[in-house]
Amino acid sequence: MMWTLLNRAIIVFVFVFLLLPLVFVVVTSFGDAAMTFPPRSFSLEWYGAIPQPFITGLKVSLIVGGSTAFIAAVVGTGAALAITRGRFRGLKILAMFCLLPLMVPSLVIAVALFQFTGILWDIARIEIGGTLIGLILGHTAIAIPYVVRAVIAGHAHFDPTLEEAALNLGASKWRTLLSITLPVLIPGIVSGAVFAFLVSFDDVPIALFMGGDEATTTMPVKIFTSIEYSMKPDVMAVSALVIYVSLALMILLEKTLGLERFFGTGRA
Amino acid sequence: MGRFAALRVRWGLLALPVIAVLLLAFGMPIASMTANSLFNHAGPGRVGSNLTLVNYINFATDPYYLGILVDTFALGFVVVSICTVLGYPVAYFLARTHSRWRGVLMFLVIAPLLVSAVIRNLGWIPLLGTNGFVNWALQALGLTDRPIALVNNFLGVVIGTTHALLPFMILMLTTVIQRINPQIEEAAVNLGATPWKNFTQVVLPLSMPGLIGGYLIVFTITISSYTTPAMLGGHRVTVMSTFVAQQIRFVLNYAFGATCAVVLMAVAIALTVMATRQSERGS
Repeated sequence: MMWTLLNRAIIVFVFVFLLLPLVFVVVTSFGDAAMTFPPRSFSLEWYGAIPQPFITGLKVSLIVGGSTAFIAAVVGTGAALAITRGRFRGLKILAMFCLLPLMVPSLVIAVALFQFTGILWDIARIEIGGTLIGLILGHTAIAIPYVVRAVIAGHAHFDPTLEEAALNLGASKWRTLLSITLPVLIPGIVSGAVFAFLVSFDDVPIALFMGGDEATTTMPVKIFTSIEYSMKPDVMAVSALVIYVSLALMILLEKTLGLERFFGTGRA
Repeated sequence: MGRFAALRVRWGLLALPVIAVLLLAFGMPIASMTANSLFNHAGPGRVGSNLTLVNYINFATDPYYLGILVDTFALGFVVVSICTVLGYPVAYFLARTHSRWRGVLMFLVIAPLLVSAVIRNLGWIPLLGTNGFVNWALQALGLTDRPIALVNNFLGVVIGTTHALLPFMILMLTTVIQRINPQIEEAAVNLGATPWKNFTQVVLPLSMPGLIGGYLIVFTITISSYTTPAMLGGHRVTVMSTFVAQQIRFVLNYAFGATCAVVLMAVAIALTVMATRQSERGS
């Protein structure tokens, strides 16, 4: 009896615990500047007073996230096909290499990229630090494993007779590849790309070390650095907006692809 | 695979772009960093040209640096333990229930994962601050008469990291428990086992292999995390990741920063390999 009660209490506690910080971003975004509990007044003023750098940050995040998702999806799908269908030496090493960025802490990748940009500049006078290209490259590295994994998982149920039928009916191999192979793989590619976007949109370390001025500062980095000194509810307002959009997207994903496929290992 | 032999494409060539991108964005950077760790420090932001192991020797012989490694492991251990205790009942419920609310509850477990970590951490700050909700509630309930420091310290980092990783623990444990045949439990209960006995002598031993795999994964993500310790530790909590960032961003000792990063990477990779072996054994 006690055991059952304790279990129930833990279950209730866990759900409250999981949702509490999200709820509080929203609550505080309507509150007063002191951010104490209970709030003395409620207003919408912070939503009207979101500082420009946060808006710019949001734009940078969307550009970097979108580009990362696109590049990782294209490159990662190729890798997944090579891994599942190729017959060559080094296949196992390739598969391991594609998943390796997942094992390395993203802060370590960030530091490595930062030091590499220094060396690249010294040797070749190429500057990728503080550029969008540098940011996108770094995020692509940590996003590729997710795409490769999603496409390989989607490929597991591929029926080879579909391709044989197309070829027997006279389609060229490129035609078959484009109108049979690729469309069958689309759900896996899309969930990989969505995950790639999320990984990019979530990342702080790489964006912190690869970013420079305002034009290359992503929204998470802007929030991260702004609270190092002080905190105002305007940060909460922009974060609350992101939560509303994420929630809408989540419901959309749940209805289309199913959310349960979107977990694996993550970063905190 | 021979199954796809009909389509005559040299599939291996499709791997060339990924190799190029990963070499440029991952392989060569990691190699550069590892190389930097093997040279001397030559002033702020400069790596010298003398090949040496002095950085590694410094790290391995100084109690302060080793202490940071110990603190990092302590954080991982505490977070994993809390995640296990809190996550197990939820996972068991999700694995066994036929409730029509299961989908909704599963959604609520996964939803926080899809919101940026920075934003989740941000929510904890007004919650845990001296004038925040938790202290208000504790005082209203008469549990304390003075606000407790819940954030900008080790406790704050534990709370934030537990929040970030609890969903992973729940999802992994749910999969593990689902694999246990419910008839075994029914047999135990029919033979007179109390819920506690059923748990300790049937479910727990059977879920052990998967549990250890999940434990290692959550531990590894915890010791790898940077954003949460930096945001909720308030510069007062030094773990490996925050220490590395500090060496690079503020101390400007690139060689030693690289060394500590290599140590952190080696630990994380070793643990991940162990976790993979463990979960292969479990399934």
